[in-house]
Amino acid sequence: MHAEWTKLRTTRGPAWLLAATVAAVVAVGAASVASVDVSQCPAPTECHEDTTRLSLLGARLGQATVVVLAVLAITNEHATGMIRTTLAAVPRRHRVLWAKAVVVTVAVLAAGVLGVLGALATGRAVLPGNGFTAANGYPPPSLTDGPTLRAAVGTVLYLVLVALLALGVGTVVRDTAGAVTTTLGLLYVVPLLVELVADPQWHDRLERLAPMTAGLSVQATRDLDRLPIGPWAGLGVLAAYSATALLLGAVLLETRDP
Amino acid sequence: MPAVTPYRSAVPRGRDGFDRLLLAEWTKLRTVPRWMLALVAAVVLTVFAGVLVAAGAGTETAGGGGGERPAPDLGVQYQDGGRFLHRPLAEDGSLVARVADQENSHAWAKAGLMIRTSTRQGAPYAAVVVTPEHGVRFQSHLSIVGSADDGPRWLRLDRSGASVTASVSADGTDWRRLGTVRLRGLPPRAEAGLFVGSPEAVRAQRQFGGENVTSVPTVGKASFDGVRMDPDPREPWRGHGPSALTGPGARDHDQDRSRAGEAGPDGVFTVTGAGDIGRYQYGHDTSEMVLSGVLVGMMAIVALAVLFVTSEYRQGVIRTTFTASPRRGRVLAAKAVVIGAVTFVAGLVAAFGTFLLADAVSGAGLVLPALSEGPVLRAVVGTAAVLAVVAVFSLGVAALLRRAAAAITVVLLVVLVPQVVASGMPLSAARWLERLTPAAGLAIQQTVVRYDTAIGPWAGFGVLCGYAAVTLVAAGWRLRRGDA
Amino acid sequence: MEATIEVRDLRKRYGATLAVDGLSFVVPPGRVTGFVGPNGSGKSTTMRALLGLDVPDSGSALIGGRPYRSLRHPLNHVGALLDAAAVHPARTARDHLLWLTHSHGLPRRRVDEVIELVGLPSAARRPAGGFSLGMRQRLGIAAALLGDPPVVVFDEPVNGLDPEGIRWIRGFLRSLAAEGRAVLVSSHLMSELEDTADHLLVIGRGRLLADIGVRELLDTASGGWITVRTSRRTEAMTLLAGEGARVAAVDRDTLTVAGLPAERVAATLAAHDVPVRELAAHRASLEEAYMELTRKSTEFTSLTGREA
Repeated sequence: MHAEWTKLRTTRGPAWLLAATVAAVVAVGAASVASVDVSQCPAPTECHEDTTRLSLLGARLGQATVVVLAVLAITNEHATGMIRTTLAAVPRRHRVLWAKAVVVTVAVLAAGVLGVLGALATGRAVLPGNGFTAANGYPPPSLTDGPTLRAAVGTVLYLVLVALLALGVGTVVRDTAGAVTTTLGLLYVVPLLVELVADPQWHDRLERLAPMTAGLSVQATRDLDRLPIGPWAGLGVLAAYSATALLLGAVLLETRDP
Repeated sequence: MPAVTPYRSAVPRGRDGFDRLLLAEWTKLRTVPRWMLALVAAVVLTVFAGVLVAAGAGTETAGGGGGERPAPDLGVQYQDGGRFLHRPLAEDGSLVARVADQENSHAWAKAGLMIRTSTRQGAPYAAVVVTPEHGVRFQSHLSIVGSADDGPRWLRLDRSGASVTASVSADGTDWRRLGTVRLRGLPPRAEAGLFVGSPEAVRAQRQFGGENVTSVPTVGKASFDGVRMDPDPREPWRGHGPSALTGPGARDHDQDRSRAGEAGPDGVFTVTGAGDIGRYQYGHDTSEMVLSGVLVGMMAIVALAVLFVTSEYRQGVIRTTFTASPRRGRVLAAKAVVIGAVTFVAGLVAAFGTFLLADAVSGAGLVLPALSEGPVLRAVVGTAAVLAVVAVFSLGVAALLRRAAAAITVVLLVVLVPQVVASGMPLSAARWLERLTPAAGLAIQQTVVRYDTAIGPWAGFGVLCGYAAVTLVAAGWRLRRGDA
Repeated sequence: MEATIEVRDLRKRYGATLAVDGLSFVVPPGRVTGFVGPNGSGKSTTMRALLGLDVPDSGSALIGGRPYRSLRHPLNHVGALLDAAAVHPARTARDHLLWLTHSHGLPRRRVDEVIELVGLPSAARRPAGGFSLGMRQRLGIAAALLGDPPVVVFDEPVNGLDPEGIRWIRGFLRSLAAEGRAVLVSSHLMSELEDTADHLLVIGRGRLLADIGVRELLDTASGGWITVRTSRRTEAMTLLAGEGARVAAVDRDTLTVAGLPAERVAATLAAHDVPVRELAAHRASLEEAYMELTRKSTEFTSLTGREA
C-alpha cells in the first residue's frame, strides 16, 4: 500500500488530474450559480431552486478527471508491463487492487473535499447577489444545515465511488482507452438516453438505475419527493456499481494471466 | 578503399500517391481485430439504443392528444389551426383582398388568403399571409414557397387547375408574383377565403432547478377590405375551424366564436383566429429521438479514432509510419480520410438500421415519418456524417495530445458537455453551449423546427466541421514542425 | 552517389541537452559501418535526424545527396530499423509489412519475400504482440528491406538476440554490404560490432571521436604487443629498444615487444641477421581499443568543459 502511494505520488499525472478535478468542480459550480437569477422565475419565492445542488453542479464535470485518474492507476501498469513487477512483488494479486483502491480513495477524497468546499463557498458568495437571499427562502448553503451537509458529504463520496467504479472497470478492461470510454459512457451517455425514453414508468425506472443520475440525487436538499430515488439510496446504487466492478476486477486479476 | 559497385535493386520502384497512403492507412485500421470490433460495436450500440428509445416511447409522443396530429401524409409535426372564412372557388379563378389592419399578437401572427382542398384537418393548402414582423409569406404544407419584405398589403391567389399562384401588391394594381405551387387533389370546388391565425407564445420559467417552457395561446385579429372573388360563387361565407385553440393546453378562447368573421356592412371583414398553420413547434422530433442512440455508438467511434493515432505513438509505430511517408501532413490527411470514410459507412449502416428497426418495433407508441422526407433523410445521412466528423475531430485531438486517455476525455467532454452540464443551467446559457460546442453538430438530426431549436441543422453541422478542421490543421502544424 | 549517407555539421539540442554537436561523416556503399558510442552519446538522435524524424537545429543529413524528407518513396532508398518493439501487438507480422508495402505501392509479393529473407515464415500470421525480441528484430529488418534499398540503417539490431540470432545478423549485415549497399549499424557495445563492421564511427557526447577503419583502430591501440622467440635474445632486445620499442624478457628465448608494429620488428631483426623462430602479434581487442579511445575523449571533453 505504501508502495502504491509512492507510485501515485511520484508520477506527475495524478497531481494534475486532482487539481483539474478541484478546478472543474469549483469553476462549473461558479458558472452555474452565476448564471441563475431569481428574475428567471415566476416569483422569487416560487423558484424552488436547490441552491446547494446548483453550487455542486461541477461534480458532473469533475468526475471525468477522476475517472481518468483511477483508470490510469491500473491500466498504466498493464500498458508498461509494470503490472508483472507489481504482481510479482505482491503474490496475492487482489491485494494490489485493494491497495490501489485505498490510495485512489484517499486522493479523490482530498480533492473532493477541496472542490466541494470551494464550490459551496463560491455559492455562498454569489447566490445572494442573484436574489437567492434568506428573505426569499434561500438561506445560504451552510454545512451546519443537515441536507446541505448530506449533499456535501454525498458529493465527495460520489466522486470516490466514481473513482472506484473506474478502477474496477480499468482492472476488468485492462486497456486505458476502453476503460475510460466505458466508464464515461456509463456515466454520461446513459442519462442522456434515459431522457429520451418517454414512457414515464420506464423513464423513472431507468433513472433510478443510471449511475450518475442515481448517485447525484444525493446532492438534493429540497423537493426530495421530486427525485426518482432517495439521496442515500441513489448513492447506494452507484456504490453497487462500484462494488460489482471492483469485485469482478479482483476475480479477474486472480484468475487471468497478467 | 576498393571501388564498390553501388547496389542496384531489381525490385520495382514504389509509386508515390495519396491513394497508396489511403490504402496503407486502411490496411492498418483493418488489421487490428479489436478496432474492427469497436466499429461493429458502434453500429450495434447505436441501433440498440435507438430501438430502446423507440420501444420505451409511451403513447405520449404519438400526437400530444390532439388526435389529428401529426398529419400522417406529411410525416412531420404539423399543425392546422387558425380561423378560415371560406367560399368555394372554381377551377379557374382568383381571390384578392387587402389586409387593412393586423394586431401584433405574435411576431408570426398570420392574416391573409388561403386555398385548400377541403376543410378537413391537415388537408393540403396554399396560403399567402401578412405577418406583423416577418413580412409576407407564401406557404404550402411545411414549406415556404415565396416571401416578400414588409410593405405590400394587397394579396392575391390565382387558381388554374391544381396550380395556385400568389402575388402581392402595394396598391392593388401593380402585382408581383411570389410563386406557384401545385396542390395535390385540389377538387374542382376548392375552398378559398380569408385566414387569420396566431401561434402560441413561448415562455421559459425557472422552477425546481430547471427551466420550464410553457406555451401561452395568443389570438390574432385582422381586418380585410377589398375582398373580391372571381368568379363570384354566390354563396355565403362560412367560418371554419379553430378560432378556438388547439395544441397543448387548448381551451376555448374565442368568446364571439359564432360571430367571428362576419363581413361588416362596409365590406370590411374582421376575423379573429388562434392557432397556426405549418410546422408544429412543440411536437416531438421522433426521428431525432430515435437517432440519438448514436451518442452511445459515438463513444466507441471516439475511442477508435483516438487509438488510431495514439496507439502509433504508444507502440512507436509512428516512426515507422513517418519513415515510410516523410510528408506528415499527408499521413494525417490520409488517416482522417480513412477514419472519416469508414465511420461514415458504419454510421450509414447504424442510422438506417436504427430507423428501420425502430419503425418496426415502435408500433403505435411512436410515429416515425417516412424516410423519403427530405429532412428525415438529412437526419439519417447526417447522423452518419456526424459520426464521421466526430471521428476526424477525435483524430485531430489525438494527434495534438498523443495520449489516449486525455484525448478521449477531452472529446467526450466537449461533445457531451452541453447535455451534461446544461440541465442545471438556464435555458439561454444551455442554448449557447449547444451552439458553440462541437455538440452543435447533432443539430443535423433535427427534422422539425422546434421552439427549443438552438441552431439550424446545417449551421450546427458546420460548427462541428469547423472544430474538426481547426484541430486537424493544428495537429498537422504540430506534426510538421515537431520531432516524431 | 546514391548509396551514400552524408552527415554534415549536424547539431541538435533537446531543451538544455546538446544531443549532437557538429557531427560530420560519410557512409559509403559496400561496407558495414559501425556507429559506436555509449548510451546517450547521440547515436539515435543522429539516426532520427537522418531519417527525417527529428529536425536538426543546423547542418544536414543526406541520403544519396538528398534530405530524407524530400524522398518520394523512401523505402526504396533507405531501410531503417529503429525500434524493434514498434509494432501494434494485435497486428500480424504480415499485416504490418502489408501496410508498409501499400504505402509505397510495392508489389505484394515483397511481403513474402522479406519474410522468407529474415526467416520468419512460421510466425508471419501471428499477432506481433506475442513475438520474442529476436523475432521482432527480424520483423523490423524485414520491414527495412521491403523496398530493397541501397542504404540500410539499423539501430542496435543485436540487442536482445540469442547467440544464434547474433551470428545470423552478422552474416546478414556482411552480405548486405557485399551486395554493394551502404550499411550503418549502431551499437553501444564495441564487442557486438567485432567481426561485423569494416569501418567505425566512434561518437561521444554528440561529437565524432574517430572515423577509422577497424584495422587502423586496432593498430593504433597501445594495448597490442608482439612475442618474439629467438636464440639471440639479448641482441634482439638491444636492437628493438634502439628503435624505440618497450621490450621485456619473458624467459630464456622469449621477449615481448610493445610500441612497434610487427613489420618493423621483423625488418629490424632481419637487417641484423637475428634469427627469429617465432613472431606473434597479439592485438588489443576492439573493445580495449575503443575503451582507450573513449577514455581519452572523456578526459578531453571534461577539460574543454572546464575551460569553457
